[in-house]
Amino acid sequence: MELLLDISLYGSTLRMIAPILLAALGGAICARVGIFNVGLEGLMLTGAFTAIVGNHLFHHPWLAVLFAAVCAGLMSLILACLTISLHANMIVVGVALNFLATGLTTYCLFAIFNVKGSYYDPNMTGLPKWDIPLLGDIPVIGGILSGHSPLVYLAFALAFALQFWFFRTVKGFRLLAAGEHPEAARSLGIRIDRIRYLAVLASGVLCGLAGAQLSLGQVTQFTEGMTAGRGFIALVAVMLGQNNPLGVMLSSLLFGFMDALSIRLQGYALPTQFTMALPYVMTLAAMFFFKDRAYLRQSGRIE
Amino acid sequence: MRHTRTDRAARTIRTARPIRLFADGLRGWIHPLAALLLGLAAGAVAIVAVGGSVAETYAEMWRGSFGSFYYTTNTLARATPIMLIGLGVALAFRAGFFNLGAEGQLLFGALAAAVTALYLPVPPAAAMIAALAAGVIAGGAWSLLAGWLDHRFRLNLLISTLLLNYIAIYVCSYFVSFPLKDTTGNAALNQTSMVDKAVWLPKLFRGMSVHAGFVIAAAAAVLLFVLLRYTVAGYRLRMHGSNPLFAIYGGVRRGRLMAWTMLASGGFAGLAGAVEVLGTQYRYIDNALTAPGYAWSGIMAALLANSHPLGTAAAAILLAALQTGGMGVERNTEVPLEIASVIQAAIILFISARFARALFRRRKARAADGTAA
Repeated sequence: MELLLDISLYGSTLRMIAPILLAALGGAICARVGIFNVGLEGLMLTGAFTAIVGNHLFHHPWLAVLFAAVCAGLMSLILACLTISLHANMIVVGVALNFLATGLTTYCLFAIFNVKGSYYDPNMTGLPKWDIPLLGDIPVIGGILSGHSPLVYLAFALAFALQFWFFRTVKGFRLLAAGEHPEAARSLGIRIDRIRYLAVLASGVLCGLAGAQLSLGQVTQFTEGMTAGRGFIALVAVMLGQNNPLGVMLSSLLFGFMDALSIRLQGYALPTQFTMALPYVMTLAAMFFFKDRAYLRQSGRIE
Repeated sequence: MRHTRTDRAARTIRTARPIRLFADGLRGWIHPLAALLLGLAAGAVAIVAVGGSVAETYAEMWRGSFGSFYYTTNTLARATPIMLIGLGVALAFRAGFFNLGAEGQLLFGALAAAVTALYLPVPPAAAMIAALAAGVIAGGAWSLLAGWLDHRFRLNLLISTLLLNYIAIYVCSYFVSFPLKDTTGNAALNQTSMVDKAVWLPKLFRGMSVHAGFVIAAAAAVLLFVLLRYTVAGYRLRMHGSNPLFAIYGGVRRGRLMAWTMLASGGFAGLAGAVEVLGTQYRYIDNALTAPGYAWSGIMAALLANSHPLGTAAAAILLAALQTGGMGVERNTEVPLEIASVIQAAIILFISARFARALFRRRKARAADGTAA
């Protein structure tokens, strides 16, 4: 109980979920147009690596973030091209994209920085921490909400913005239509393939930002395979959140909280393996309550 | 759609049977070969980018994988778990179940085999067989759990298998860090005690790393090929994979099919773990099976071969060769080991575009609603 009242626990929760949330929002956009993007993990890793490369090239954190978004966006176009134009199986392409990202980032890490394992340069500047003036002054909550990197705030703002955009704007509605019933949408003159391309591109850009938060947000460093399954967790968050941006945000929060809690529990007598497995067990448990309708439809178990 | 089909039928009648069979066989090979060449071309670009010599690097890669008898057996030893995992994954993919949980199934198989070999008080030969069986059962049970969750509680299999991987990693890590940890040696590694030498899988050649597990894997590939191709169960499984709605309409019971498929699929991965413990590592070592990425390589092998059992076995050897070759490259040139991963991923991407074309014809009619299984 004492543990749950610890304020820094919630602060670290917010930091931890930002990358997951950004990637999951990208995944949600894809899911809304009927694309199951398994490549989130690889795209995020690409973002994390290219953010460091951008930082190295331009010596400026914001240009680095931009560079990461562009690179991950380009990477996502591979997925878009293969699945949309060439009708490849999206799961196959997604898995392959993850392999490509793992291989390429490690390879380029050696090619560009001549190191293996991880790269750290003390001269690199990470993302700034924003102390929100009014918010930071509120006694308890201020400490939790203030002092994060701008990308953390962006992630949450985007969740609300996307929710509005999907359900309250014409363009958002068209996107939903393209996923809900492609035939009908096409007959109304909606260019489905273009929307799909843009959706995948958006997920690439968001994963780029997620990766940048990972490598520039806390410690300014890239480590091989540093996404460590966060892209897959994002995929779970998309599913748990039923493709609704706010739902995705809540499920990311749940996961981030479990993650932060598991790190905190390591101080207790429990073996670390149990606390580390906790987020995955909880996520699996949460899946009992939220079903993936697209999956059930496709396997012929609901109409 | 109908037009194309008549055209094809007409062509079929015109072409003599042997020629057609040959052409079909050739077509099956041309695409993977083209993808392989394109993958190597992509690798060449990467090599040039770090200032290496393409010819020299590929020569080293060949030497490191098949250059001598020793390296060849090394490659085959590495291919063994990849083959078995790939076969299990291919089986599930053929049935339309995206089982991405090979890693967890592999770990539980390996741990169960190690524990059985260590603590079951029976003669060595029996212990070996019991350990292999325990591996199959443990891997199969972990996989069946995901299948059961899918069927009974409708959890998305792809996601639950991914999550179960992480849980398996931590659970197995716990067992070898605490209750089963070997405390006799002075090694700081988390590992079980060493399995008795009499229980080890025999080596195929004296002093070479390839062991009897390779023979098991090769036999399993042939067996799976025959089962899928020539039995009723295999036919049902393939029907469900190509069109679940049709199969269910035709009387296939999804739950039962899923249970058997997942059990067998995980069983293969578990066997891979058992074989790796009894043939190569002789104990369960924390991280020793996850670090080389066997599970994902197996999934890649199945993807490369479009889930054909014999093709999966061949693809597993190819991937193992790329990996051992990559090590050779790193030993002798400036180009890093990861050149192998770049080539592997490129090949898969090019292959998936081919996979694409086969689906394309079917998809056109129903205007690709975005689902795929």
